[in-house]
Formats: sequence, structure tokens, C-alpha cells
Amino acid sequence: MQINQDFTIQKVGASYVAVPIGEASKSFRGMIQLNETGAFLWKLMAEKDCTEEELVEAMLAEYDVSREIAAADVHAVVETLKNSKLFI
Amino acid sequence: MFVIELAGIRIGIDNRYSFIERQCYGFVCEGTDVAFTVSVTSDEILEEQKHGEFSEGYCESICIYRHICEQLPAYNIFLMHSSVIEVDGYAYAFTAKSGVGKSTHTALWLKNVPNARVLNGDKPLYRLEKDGSLTAFGTPWNGKENWGENISAPLAAICFIERGIENRITPAQESDVIGRLMHQLYLRGSRQSVTQQLVLMDALVRAVPYYVLECNVSDEAALLAWNTMRKS
Repeated sequence: MQINQDFTIQKVGASYVAVPIGEASKSFRGMIQLNETGAFLWKLMAEKDCTEEELVEAMLAEYDVSREIAAADVHAVVETLKNSKLFI
Repeated sequence: MFVIELAGIRIGIDNRYSFIERQCYGFVCEGTDVAFTVSVTSDEILEEQKHGEFSEGYCESICIYRHICEQLPAYNIFLMHSSVIEVDGYAYAFTAKSGVGKSTHTALWLKNVPNARVLNGDKPLYRLEKDGSLTAFGTPWNGKENWGENISAPLAAICFIERGIENRITPAQESDVIGRLMHQLYLRGSRQSVTQQLVLMDALVRAVPYYVLECNVSDEAALLAWNTMRKS
């Protein structure tokens, strides 16, 4: 999965906010609010095409969480982004 | 071409129709020294006319303001769709989804709150100051009621309005504030401009107290909001 490049993401308060730019703003209106973990995964998927397994490994390397929790978090974020049609 | 001053920035307007010149009366200034100049193409005006039966002049004005608002984040200024009331030197902002009743609530403030006047009823600008505070500015784009003046005031609080049976006002949590603000900010333009708009949004969520007001159409609704939001 790789995220459409036509987004900008910034920290707003304690959250992260991603907003479409240019072409993406025509198909996606509004913005996406993410927590710290969501933003971490977002940045990985914006850089390159990665699988859920790779994202889980990245999470385990970055955060002190169990594999189970990491896998559940990754799956939840990926599903949300998939539903919003944000993948290339 | 004529020049207006919005939130302290001088802007050149290269117009085709006279509508916008009449609209900007009260904001026009002398000279030709400007921060930037905006104009719109006939294609943009035609595109805008697809949204309703509006005159070319009106559509040109809408497009021009949109272009202006895409440039302003670079000057730490942004548009937030809201109604701003000025009372004794402070600005109180109300925002809501279209049709919920911003104008109705604004009218209740004018009736019930001494010294209240509308700074802008629809599309005011906000400027982030060096100390992290915000200042609200009137603009010529002020909604169908045409409520507004060329004045400015430090922002005291922001309130999200919802319809309710009873009147109730509660402080809003930050994550809720972000979700609600996203419908009211103008997040368009270049990557640089939208990114800067988000930097300003980060300052915005920290700058003032936020409230959610569930209200009906009554004098008590305005008095409850005023007594809760008022800056002493």
C-alpha cells in the first residue's frame, strides 16, 4: 500500500491532520485526523509501497508494544485509509 | 484595477465587473503598492455560475476572494467561515454547519447583548499575532445579510452552534475542535499554502477557549453564550 503523494500532513494540537492538495482535493474533500501512531504509519506509506507485515515490523521497532496490538493498530489504520480511497 | 486593505495587507484587484468595486466600498485604499494582485479568468467565472443562477460580477467576486484566501496564509492570515460579534473591544466567533442558525443566533446577540455589533457575518479573516493570540478582521465578504464593518478586535472565544431543545453550553475538547474546524477552514491552494494553513490551525486550536452551544431560538440562548464566553 502506498499513499497518494498529493497530501500534506502536519501536527495540529495533539493530533495530526492530512489534507489533499491539487488533483487529490477534487476526489477527496475534507481532511483526515490521525493520532501519533496513525501519523507514523502514514509517513511510512507516503514514502514507499509497504505491506501490512512491514508496517507491523516498523511499529515494533518504534514503539514498545506487543505484536498483537501493533497488528491490530496497523490493520485499523489501513482499513480507514482504504475506505477513504487514499491508496494509489 | 483597484486596491483594498484586508487584515493589514494591501491587495490589488484586477476586475472585469463593477460588482466587486461596490462590494469593497469601505475597504478601498489609495496608491498602487500591493503585497499581491488577484484576477480571475472567464472560465473560472463560468465554472462558478454552474453552482446557481448568479451574475458574472457576483461569481467574479467569489472567485477573487478564494484566490485572496489562498495567498493569505503566507502572511499568517486565514479565512474561517464564521460569524464574529464584537462586544466592548473583543471578538466572539460562532461557527456551524450551513443552515444551523449562525445568523439567527447572531441576531439574538444584537438584541440581547449591550454594545454588540457584527464584525463580519460570514467570511471574516483571522491573523495570528506574534504572542500566539488571534485578531479577527472584517471583510467585504459578509454573507447574504450583509452584516459587517471594516473593524478588527482580538478574538476572545470560538463557539460551535448546534440546534437543541434546551440551551446548554460546554467546553469543547481539542480533538473534537479539530474535527469541527475542518469544515470551516479554507484548505485550498498550493502545497505550501495548505501546509501553512495547517500551521496556523495548530496555533488556532491553542489560542482561545472553545465551546459547543446547543441552543434554541430564544433570548436565553444568547445570554447563556455571552455570559459563558465573555472576557472580563
